[in-house]
Amino acid sequence: MNEASVIAWDGPTRVFKWALVFVVLDGWISNRYGGSVPNWHKFNGYAALVLITFRVLWGFVGGSTARFANFFAAPGKVFVYLQAKTKFLGHNPLGGWMVVALLVLVAAMATTGLFSADEDRLIIEGPLAKTISDAMVDVAARWHRYIFTTIEVFVAVHVAANVIYAVAHREPLIEAMITGRKPADQYTDMPVATPGSWGQAAICLGVAAALVFGAISAAGGRPF
Amino acid sequence: MKKRLGIVIALAVLATGAAIAQSDPIAQRKAILKDIGEATKPIAAMAKGEARYDSAVVQKSLATIADGSKKLPDLFPANSKTGGDTAALPKIWDEKTKFDDLFVKLTAAASAAQGTIKDEATLKANIGGVFGNCKSCHDDYRAKKS
Repeated sequence: MNEASVIAWDGPTRVFKWALVFVVLDGWISNRYGGSVPNWHKFNGYAALVLITFRVLWGFVGGSTARFANFFAAPGKVFVYLQAKTKFLGHNPLGGWMVVALLVLVAAMATTGLFSADEDRLIIEGPLAKTISDAMVDVAARWHRYIFTTIEVFVAVHVAANVIYAVAHREPLIEAMITGRKPADQYTDMPVATPGSWGQAAICLGVAAALVFGAISAAGGRPF
Repeated sequence: MKKRLGIVIALAVLATGAAIAQSDPIAQRKAILKDIGEATKPIAAMAKGEARYDSAVVQKSLATIADGSKKLPDLFPANSKTGGDTAALPKIWDEKTKFDDLFVKLTAAASAAQGTIKDEATLKANIGGVFGNCKSCHDDYRAKKS
């Protein structure tokens, strides 16, 4: 048993990951139990958009395992992976698709939320709902619901897959996303990750927030 | 004789009228919910800063909500599950106690808000406590329009 461990995920990537988990859960909670505080759910949606935008930027300048170029694989590679089942330090080719799918879904969830409102347009209203027709607001609200159901399915598959890897394949993927480290091994993608810097992460987060709130303002909406 | 017949007819007419009112709880509850919705509109606009705070309108609207919500639990009898273009979900009658309780909460919240809301700031701070009840009920018990 090799006790040596190597860095797999840098700090910002891990903080982002669990922050996104929190935001998705809190989005559900704030909708279910926060009817009396509509800004809670809205703030949650903005946080989701800022986080996803951060992650997209981080996918270009962040740690090596967080970069899209290193984990967003062509479908052909997914097939090779499914047959060879080699170990990856970062996301394996199949997991990479799950990451991208979850990012796209949460982004779509939050974006449709910007244009959604309750049926009567009285209780909660996204900041951009007044920029489109009532019929389109209903369409956005409907997709806001459909996408949530889709997210539930993807999250279930994602969690199940990670538990299976941990239990059946003895790959401590969940642990690695907390500690940032994995046992040293013959990884297909890279032997050790190069972490991104906290400074750059802070800049990415600032840029992400400016982009999200700038875009909402430019589209004619007031966030609160 | 004529007078007695008159009374009988009058009573019959009254009874029929009451029976129609009784027998159409769907129309009645829809009318009350519509009134509540209309009463909510000006307050929602004020809370969003789209209209100027108007104490009289707020108090009148809150009274409409409190009065209307008091009548609503009785307007969902077991024989009014379908028809009349109702958006009421069947789940209401599986959880009637919980459902009725939401109206009790709405009445209490609207009555309390009549006391706590005094200006724009207190409106923004307290109106969520009233509207939140609308949302929790609509989320669970009202069919989605689309």
